Amino acid sequence: SGQQSVTGVESADDANSYWQIRGKPARPCQRGSAIKCGQPIRITHMKTSRNLHTHHFSSPLSNNQEVSAFGENGEGDDLDVWTVQCDGIYWDRDEPVRFKHVGTDVFLGITGEQYGHPIRGQREVHGMSTPNQHNLWRTMEGVFIQPSQEPLRHDEL
Amino acid sequence: MAKKGINIWNACCLLLYIITAVLASRDFYKILGVSKTATIRDIKKAYRKLALQLHPDRNPDDPKAQDKFADLGAAYEVLSDEEKRKQYDMYGEDGLKEGHHSSHNDIFSSFFGDFGFMFGGNRQQQDRNIPRGNDIVLDLEVTLEEVYSGNFVEVVRNKPVAKEAPGKRKCNCRQEMRTTQLGPGRFQMTQEMVCDECPNVKLVNEERTLEVEIEQGVRDEMEYPFIGEGEPHIDGEPGDLRFRIKVLKHPVFERRGDDLYTNVTISLVEALVGFEMDIVHLDGHKVHIVRDKITKPGARMWKKGEGLPNFDNINIRGSLIITFDVEFPQTQLDDQQKDGEKTELKLVVPVE
Repeated sequence: SGQQSVTGVESADDANSYWQIRGKPARPCQRGSAIKCGQPIRITHMKTSRNLHTHHFSSPLSNNQEVSAFGENGEGDDLDVWTVQCDGIYWDRDEPVRFKHVGTDVFLGITGEQYGHPIRGQREVHGMSTPNQHNLWRTMEGVFIQPSQEPLRHDEL
Repeated sequence: MAKKGINIWNACCLLLYIITAVLASRDFYKILGVSKTATIRDIKKAYRKLALQLHPDRNPDDPKAQDKFADLGAAYEVLSDEEKRKQYDMYGEDGLKEGHHSSHNDIFSSFFGDFGFMFGGNRQQQDRNIPRGNDIVLDLEVTLEEVYSGNFVEVVRNKPVAKEAPGKRKCNCRQEMRTTQLGPGRFQMTQEMVCDECPNVKLVNEERTLEVEIEQGVRDEMEYPFIGEGEPHIDGEPGDLRFRIKVLKHPVFERRGDDLYTNVTISLVEALVGFEMDIVHLDGHKVHIVRDKITKPGARMWKKGEGLPNFDNINIRGSLIITFDVEFPQTQLDDQQKDGEKTELKLVVPVE
């Protein structure tokens, strides 16, 4: 579609691989609060401030649904929203989860198709219609913010 | 005679023991410079400030620097842990059970990162030829309440760390031109990939907790770096993790520099005859306002010292500026009400 492409890479030392979990447009989530299973989120690429996005376009290598990085400064459109699918109440850091797109209902996944030049070896990230082992994800490296206490009020002391 | 000698000897031993016991027992509250009722946040704040000052690398001429720094680490370790603090408060340092001792390096790193002692620009003085991993810059949203009172945010950093592995690996790979002789006077130039051999390295994920301080008076876009907590580099040093402060908008107060602006709506009667009220501030304390004159719409009241603390000197505070809106009746007055209002106003407002 001409939008920024999203790929999977094997190296673990690339700051270009960091994504930030944020709330829906106009509904920011509170710093440090845990994300519930089923909660709608946006996944924003940190280096380019674009949101993980999908729409009714075909992906170039596998004919699944194309996934791109869309928007400016963290703001794109309604097709930037995904829900976290997991067991239990909250998204556990060590738990494999799925990301289901709000709007087209596809699951974020990788099946292994590789690009050629100029991004040789990078894998295609696309949207798939059924949940399976290719669309399970888990957090690895990252910065995880813990919930804070409210600053104390004078009359409590 | 012998008995007397033994008694004096015992007394001296006891005295010596008491003296050493007192000397060995440190006053952790004094070391950190906090009161006995200090909150965990006060303790973290005190540690962070003193750790930077007392780090041995910053005090190369002080022979006692190592000891002072070690004392600081021990004080923080005990007072920041609820259980240990209770034991210390009751029984003193000797009453602490064995089995603690997280290294002071760990404590220091959680506030400043692995190479945090390189604060103050030393990093740039390092050999520029050492390759560095990428920096990670993360926006940290803070509320105006936190800017007013300060706070600490705990962050878990999970990162890949380069560790030695058995064997060798290829490094510094580059293309080079090779010339091979095919025969007399005939040469062929080919391009070849040439690599060096380096000790093998693998990336292993490690986790640690970092303490990010939201200092009082902090401003938008200010950064808090954690040296070495960024992305690793296989052939060099890790980059940094930097938290960039983003101050969120507040529903009641607007920040301009160190001043706070807020709007208060008063009724028509209050505008004419005066009023008394409390405004609840960011930390819950009440600002008392008394007005006994006429208040025009848009009138402003300045409350010195009720603004935000200044980042560079928290003893200086800005002002709170209150702008008054006057609420007019919503529905139109009918003729009878209008006549009534006119007479009443005549009594209130002297007409020359």
